[in-house]
Amino acid sequence: MKKSQIGFLFILPWLLGLIIFTVFPIIAALYISMTDWSIIGQETFIGFRNFGNIFSDPAFYKALLVTMRYAVLAIPLTIIMALLVALSVNNQYKGIGIFRTIFYMPSIVSGVAVAIVFKWILDPSYGALNSLLRIFGITGPNWLYDSAWVLPSYLIMAVWGASGGLYIYLAALKDIPKELYEAATIDGAGWRQKIRYVTLPMLTPILFYNLVIGLIGAFRKFTDAYVLGGAGEEGVFYMVYLYRQAFSFYKMGYATALAWILFVIILGLTLIINYTKKYWVYSERK
Amino acid sequence: MKKRLPGIIFCMVLIFILALLTGCTGAGKEKSTFTFATWAAGEELKEFDAIIEKVNREAGDRYQVEVLSIPSDYYVKLATYIAANKTPDFFWLTQELISKYAQLGAIADLTEMFEDSKGLTPDQYYPGVLRSATYNGRFYGLPWIANPLVVYYNKDLFAAAGVAYPPATGGWTWDELIETAKALTRTEQDDYGNNYQQYGCIVDGWPNIETFIWAGGGDIIAENGVDILLDSEETIQGLTILHKILNAGITPPYREVGSLGSNNVWFEKQRVAMFMGGIQDNFEVKISKLPEKEQFRIGYAPMPVGLDGKAHSFNWTASTVMSRKLAKKQTAYEVMEKITLEFFKWKIASPISGEVERIVEIAPAKEPALETIQICLNNARSANYVPEWNEINHNLWLKLYNAMLNEGDFDYKSQVKAIAEEARKLIANRK
Repeated sequence: MKKSQIGFLFILPWLLGLIIFTVFPIIAALYISMTDWSIIGQETFIGFRNFGNIFSDPAFYKALLVTMRYAVLAIPLTIIMALLVALSVNNQYKGIGIFRTIFYMPSIVSGVAVAIVFKWILDPSYGALNSLLRIFGITGPNWLYDSAWVLPSYLIMAVWGASGGLYIYLAALKDIPKELYEAATIDGAGWRQKIRYVTLPMLTPILFYNLVIGLIGAFRKFTDAYVLGGAGEEGVFYMVYLYRQAFSFYKMGYATALAWILFVIILGLTLIINYTKKYWVYSERK
Repeated sequence: MKKRLPGIIFCMVLIFILALLTGCTGAGKEKSTFTFATWAAGEELKEFDAIIEKVNREAGDRYQVEVLSIPSDYYVKLATYIAANKTPDFFWLTQELISKYAQLGAIADLTEMFEDSKGLTPDQYYPGVLRSATYNGRFYGLPWIANPLVVYYNKDLFAAAGVAYPPATGGWTWDELIETAKALTRTEQDDYGNNYQQYGCIVDGWPNIETFIWAGGGDIIAENGVDILLDSEETIQGLTILHKILNAGITPPYREVGSLGSNNVWFEKQRVAMFMGGIQDNFEVKISKLPEKEQFRIGYAPMPVGLDGKAHSFNWTASTVMSRKLAKKQTAYEVMEKITLEFFKWKIASPISGEVERIVEIAPAKEPALETIQICLNNARSANYVPEWNEINHNLWLKLYNAMLNEGDFDYKSQVKAIAEEARKLIANRK
């Protein structure tokens, strides 16, 4: 038996897993998206009718708008926040490990638990946030109960959990060669210039990575949106809309078509970001 | 041989996948072991298991029932079982989904067996309860519980405000409920001298929108399961009653309800004087466990009479249904019927008439409520559930009720007309 064939046998369990749990579901999903199927009945092939129905459904556009609006604001906010936290805990002070742990903690808490805690924090009458605002004589908004404040409520939650990417930034910051800072110091650069001309350019590959991951995460937002909702349709994010179509309304074919549309949107936006990479992401391979 | 290896491996992979995908349906197989899926968990599951054990003991060698507990994501997992051709033989189904599952062919039509049965017949059931297990005039489930709405009230708060108790045998109107609630809405002071608002009643998405629509004499869907009545004059009159309650200052603002956890806590903490809840709600036990100082006397009244002269009492019912794929349906039906009869001794309230006294055996604290409960059971009603119900109901909540709760001046009359049009389109697309 050739070495390559033995190697093939070794990867066979993985290959089986890939075929059964990834390739087959993708092919099946493509077929299901072209059927009228409610999970518990027989499917009927209907071609591209699900896609046609989706594009004529105002609820689809509303869910997409809610999600895109969130993505446009939440992604930069979380990136900036995580970066600021990473820069502030990058130095070796006594007890800095405690701060790093505290900042990282939101990312290890279950999404449902976070949603329930924020339900209390954002309670208009007795919530922590409005109680805090009252100390300063400010009457807080009704947050999730007011359609105008649903998006800001979710942005607050996003910023709170932003430091999930902390350790990636910290690792990237540690990776920046000290010589670059030394050279900048010799050239008379202050801390602002060092960040502007050394740190940020060297971090751009990580910023790029977090931008793509953030984009995928924002479009797949589900857990807290499903638990908390929001006034009217303002809390109906794309994935919540999709989930309801599949498991509340038993329209699995329609929901699968929605999933494919989401895939295409994310793929398209990722390709666009990837195209812009050459203009702003630092690479040693020029 | 070496050259053929990848081909052999590819064939093995293909066979393995096909074997996985080709499930044995079990169709045509005669069964003596049945699976019963339930959402029961914890203490409820132990009680459920005890019932099944008793049935199994009595059945001896003839058949055995196995319990399949699905305590979370019940309907998602149930749908997955059905899709995988592993439908449990019997399972619990909430009333809203009977028509959907029947339309999709997942559950068996029980009409002939039900009508021919000597153990449990349709005429034994409260009519309003049994209707929830029908689709297109056929029976698809055996309801095992009835939980119609009743008005619980705090006798001590009524006495303190000098307000007469609502009649235990009913006959009061929605206007009277509103006036009573106004008289009970007062600013009170706690033990520390802090002012707080006491409200007459609580409406926060519960009771459901059907309650108010029926109060106006309207409905969501007609009995024929096709005509939409949402934009009828009667329905709008019913929504006007809801609008009046929400804007009379007699119920806590929607945004405040969550501050105490949930709506029932407002009643338990004596922050509201009246609560419209199911007869199963165990306020009596909860209140008896409070410190003596916080306890209060509970009174009961049927739901108010609507503009059509009827005191509709929204009822939630779950049914036991049978997989359509069961080969030996008659035997299976007998097993299902036997278990259902056992459930009647277990839960409040039995959905068949003449058994109201049994409530006291299950929950002795409910004894003072028996007369009122009987009236509510007689008036029990559920919506005319159609396969599109979840979507229509979702729109009613998201675009109407939720908006009415959040915005006092919301134009519900125009909105309900728009929702009615959407509902008509949904029904027009029915297969």
